[in-house]
Amino acid sequence: MSDQLVQLIADMEEESALALVRRMLDQGVDPLAVLDDCRAAMSVVGQRFEAGEYFIPELILAGEMLKSISAEVKPRLQHAAGAKQGARVLLGTVKGDIHDIGKDIVNFMLDVNGFQVTDLGVDVPVATFVEKIEALQPPIVALSGFLTLSYTSMKETVDAIVAAGLRDKVKIMVGGGTIDQQVCDYVKADAFGKDAMAAVALAKQWTGGN
Amino acid sequence: MTPFVDPDLGKPADQLFGERLTRLTTALQLKQPDRIPIVLGAGYLLADMYGVTRQEQHENGETEIQMLLKAAEYFQPDSIFGAFNNPSASLIVGDRMTKFPGHGLDPNGSFQFVEGEYMKPEDYDAFIDDPADWAIRKYWPRVFPALEGLSLLPPLGMAAFGHYSLFSLGILTAPPVVQALQTLGKAAAAQAAVDARTVETTQRLAAAGFAPPPLAGSVIEAPFDFMSDTLRGMRGIMLDIHRRPEKLLAAMEKVLKFELEYAIAFSNATGLKTAFIPLHRGSDGFMSLPQFEKFYWPTLKAMQETLVENGIMPFVFYEGVWDQRLKYLAELPRGKTAGWFQFSDIFKVKEIVGDTMCIQGGMRNSMLQAGTAEEVREFTKRLCKEVGRGGGFIMSVGVGEMEGCRPDLVKIWIETTKEYGVYA
Repeated sequence: MSDQLVQLIADMEEESALALVRRMLDQGVDPLAVLDDCRAAMSVVGQRFEAGEYFIPELILAGEMLKSISAEVKPRLQHAAGAKQGARVLLGTVKGDIHDIGKDIVNFMLDVNGFQVTDLGVDVPVATFVEKIEALQPPIVALSGFLTLSYTSMKETVDAIVAAGLRDKVKIMVGGGTIDQQVCDYVKADAFGKDAMAAVALAKQWTGGN
Repeated sequence: MTPFVDPDLGKPADQLFGERLTRLTTALQLKQPDRIPIVLGAGYLLADMYGVTRQEQHENGETEIQMLLKAAEYFQPDSIFGAFNNPSASLIVGDRMTKFPGHGLDPNGSFQFVEGEYMKPEDYDAFIDDPADWAIRKYWPRVFPALEGLSLLPPLGMAAFGHYSLFSLGILTAPPVVQALQTLGKAAAAQAAVDARTVETTQRLAAAGFAPPPLAGSVIEAPFDFMSDTLRGMRGIMLDIHRRPEKLLAAMEKVLKFELEYAIAFSNATGLKTAFIPLHRGSDGFMSLPQFEKFYWPTLKAMQETLVENGIMPFVFYEGVWDQRLKYLAELPRGKTAGWFQFSDIFKVKEIVGDTMCIQGGMRNSMLQAGTAEEVREFTKRLCKEVGRGGGFIMSVGVGEMEGCRPDLVKIWIETTKEYGVYA
């Protein structure tokens, strides 16, 4: 573990972090160890985000650094890195709504907290959620929406999950925009979260602490 | 309980118009009117109620006027407005950054912006150097494909070359340029027709006794949002904060200058003394307070102060949640700006900026969609009592859109406001 690399990434020192990665790889450091450092750094970023020290600029830059480092590391990998073991969360912005900012933050925070996130993207048809629940059997479904129209789409999505006989197999959380407890009750979800930290807390609670 | 009798019933339209306009104006000036004014940003509630598609609501001006008149008569608010925008000019230029119902969306879908990185990091220097030249020759062809031919124009600065500038005119006969200019002419005509409809809508509602909405005026943005929304996109702008902060700041100074020039000229030409400023990335949650202090607030504050100095009221839509940032808003000149709050804690807003600006908002869209009559009544009473205290409050929902709201709950909300929002 290179504490220096972890610190550079966590402190948003983009150029220095990339330069160090190149040096480490040239010196023969195991590419998997570099990826482990990245994971550790992302976890620090996540903690700082939770603490209200980091915001979206830092999450996005962290994501960018991760992408650049992966591009350096991947050609040198002999075998794929081990798959994550955490519980799966099926995530998406509901039908008719193309907003992705909140959803992407939830994705990032669940990911750094060890969950396997399957992100269906935006404007996700009701049937796609049902198909993916059948195929992947996630214990958790997270519905995102920004527009007021999403209240109705969320309701239709939950109704379809009920109609497919899958409702008792998943916990459903909703969030984003002006979603509140009233919307949660209306769409018959299990809980709403006001931010990404709430999504992580709910996911942990529902999976016994992950 | 005696049934509620609307005090506005039976009054002639011209009297109602005068009373409603005075009520709104008084509240906007941070004073206490006879009762709390109500603005109904009905949006797609109209299409929902009267059984037309949202596409038709956007595209058929007469249909929308008829629906606005009907809904105004039924709900009796002080002011009402409908859906955001008409797609005609967008469709003519091939606008990549909007999606309208029936065009890339279901006829009953909701209008949305498609954010993208339409300005690349390497465009900053050209933008800062000459934003107009960059916008017309590089940016428009990129975002409005039907105007592609404008990319063939010579640098616009060459127009300053007097007699010699005429040497460049030949290019205007090149087929792609001809096509682009003709398309621009068509888009202009379409937009002028939309503008005329907007004026007609205001006039016909006024004749029926309803005041224009307080946001009527020019539309400008906080310089940060100007750079973010239609140019760099959220991802791009957030990276700029770390990767090229100086360029971002320099670009915003340019934007501030020409937005102010635009808003002041618009006000002089139309006589409308309001600039509507919808905010996006300033909300809690996007950036840290130090970043807000450096990148967002200084130009937004300067913008509002300059507008006020020029006799224009900034009517600002504080989208998202501003709970951590309210203390900054309290720095604004007293009684000269107005704030429409989407999802902030409205009681905290009253406490912190209630002496600074007129507050619009309060009712939650979710409650008008999924609440009960009793909940709506109780919450409305609380809003009247606490946020309405002393005046300077306009009742509306937090979102400029009421799709999915239940008409019966909307009616209860408005009646309760009229009953409990009366100042002694």
